[in-house]
Amino acid sequence: MLHIDSLSCQILKEVNFSLPLNQNLTILGANGSGKTTLAKALCNLIPNKSVTFDNKTLDQISPKKRAQIINYVPAKLNIYDEYLTVLDYLRLNVIDEKNFTDFDIILNVLDMAHLKYSRCVNLSSGESSLLMVGGAMIHNPQITVLDEPTANLDQEKKVKLYQILKNSSAFRNKIIITHDLNLAYQLDYTILYLDKGSVRFHGECRSFFQSDQIKSCFGNYVKNIDGNYMVNYNETV
Amino acid sequence: MKQFSLFISLIVLFCAPFFGQIALNFSDIFDTTSSSHMLLWEIRLPRVLIAFFGGAVLSLAGLVFQSVFRNALTTPFTLGVASGATLGTAIGIVFFGGIILWQYIFSFAGALLTVLILFLISKALKATQTNSLLLVGIALSFFYSAALMVLFYLSDFQQSYSIIHFTMGSLSVIGLDYVYPITFISLLLLSVILFHRSELKLLLTSLDFAFLKGIDVNKTIMTFLLITSLAVAVCVSIVGPIGFVGLIVPHIIKTVYQRSSDTLIIPTFFYGGVFLVFCDMITRNLGTVSDIPIGVVTSFLGGPFFIYLILRKNKQ
Repeated sequence: MLHIDSLSCQILKEVNFSLPLNQNLTILGANGSGKTTLAKALCNLIPNKSVTFDNKTLDQISPKKRAQIINYVPAKLNIYDEYLTVLDYLRLNVIDEKNFTDFDIILNVLDMAHLKYSRCVNLSSGESSLLMVGGAMIHNPQITVLDEPTANLDQEKKVKLYQILKNSSAFRNKIIITHDLNLAYQLDYTILYLDKGSVRFHGECRSFFQSDQIKSCFGNYVKNIDGNYMVNYNETV
Repeated sequence: MKQFSLFISLIVLFCAPFFGQIALNFSDIFDTTSSSHMLLWEIRLPRVLIAFFGGAVLSLAGLVFQSVFRNALTTPFTLGVASGATLGTAIGIVFFGGIILWQYIFSFAGALLTVLILFLISKALKATQTNSLLLVGIALSFFYSAALMVLFYLSDFQQSYSIIHFTMGSLSVIGLDYVYPITFISLLLLSVILFHRSELKLLLTSLDFAFLKGIDVNKTIMTFLLITSLAVAVCVSIVGPIGFVGLIVPHIIKTVYQRSSDTLIIPTFFYGGVFLVFCDMITRNLGTVSDIPIGVVTSFLGGPFFIYLILRKNKQ
């Protein structure tokens, strides 16, 4: 059980919620509403005492143990060493030798087998995003936080990632940060909507996607067309 | 290419003790009473060994600093750690003249103090601001050289001479007394870095990534910086501040091998040693009345390379 008790840091103000271990979560919210800040606080990248896992703050858990509990996949791949290859990167995600996964299987799932020996710094932004997802699948702690995993992907890869998230046993518990309402709707996870650093909605996916709730969060910028949530580019700003 | 350079390097290492201004009489080198024996075993061989392990330490230190601070231009020299060690050694010369242990202690204290300042500042800066850290290093270097000037005023003629001679960097030592500490510290540095190479590899991605994979990032970085500073301090207190080795060698090795830095620990160590032995061979065989300080040769080779590196980085 992940528990967040009056978390206030940077933009976040008094954030409270609990996440049982069988529940997945989608975090929604405008740019700058504190989604990434929240995600970083959840894994103690922003040190805090408000996030507890089984009644222990993350500081009280050893770094090794913490890595088995929670992982965060940032929106952008950041690599210093220009000669680090895709295979090198995947190897670095093995936390527990016992749960070792075959790298080729992961690369095949992601259609990246041909990039096995490529340098990470030369990957396109979409390929980097998928590589990070692959790394997170190998790491596979109790909870994986994915920060805008579909932002850089083409349509086909978005579907592929959706299927990985939806069906496979690739991840145990997932927290997804996204701007893609269709993805959030299809995933059908619990929704947490952040507005200027505060929780404005926390509840079931179905009740979030009722028309008045959507309208109050997104105004007229989102239209529902045949059950799909589309951005309405004709709305005047 | 790699086998060829290994072959050449081994030849350089093997031949280095036999070349110098005074020709050795090869039939006498095992005759303990001859001058050739003394020249080879008491002067040339210790010098080659010190050059090798000194170059190895400075190069590996450069590789570690570049990985930890995530900037291609950081070395113990550009960040002021070596200047701190130099100032410490000078303090040892002026106030505790002749006692070599105090030179080591002050040298390490100077290096350690600098590393602590840099570590605290790098924590206060955001990870992307390593350029500011370089500026801090340069500011520290200026501060230390000003302090060194003050020391010159406080010291007598003979102390001033030892300090000047020391700051030019010199490998001329007699006997094996200096060889033991530098050999010990360089092998210690090598084994600590090799032992922690998986942590080093994680740092090569990003600090956040290393943190998320269960590494105690601050502790790891502190371990790397402490052992590296200790090694650089011992090295500087024996051979003086020999610049640019720590900058050139890791970059050449990276360009040639094109592998991630954690796999380059041993090549950097080895070829760093060979580079300094080679530079030292040049200084000893130029035919000048006395040996040109080694720092002159490494800086002549290193200065232009440094400028080239900055230009290439700017282009990208």
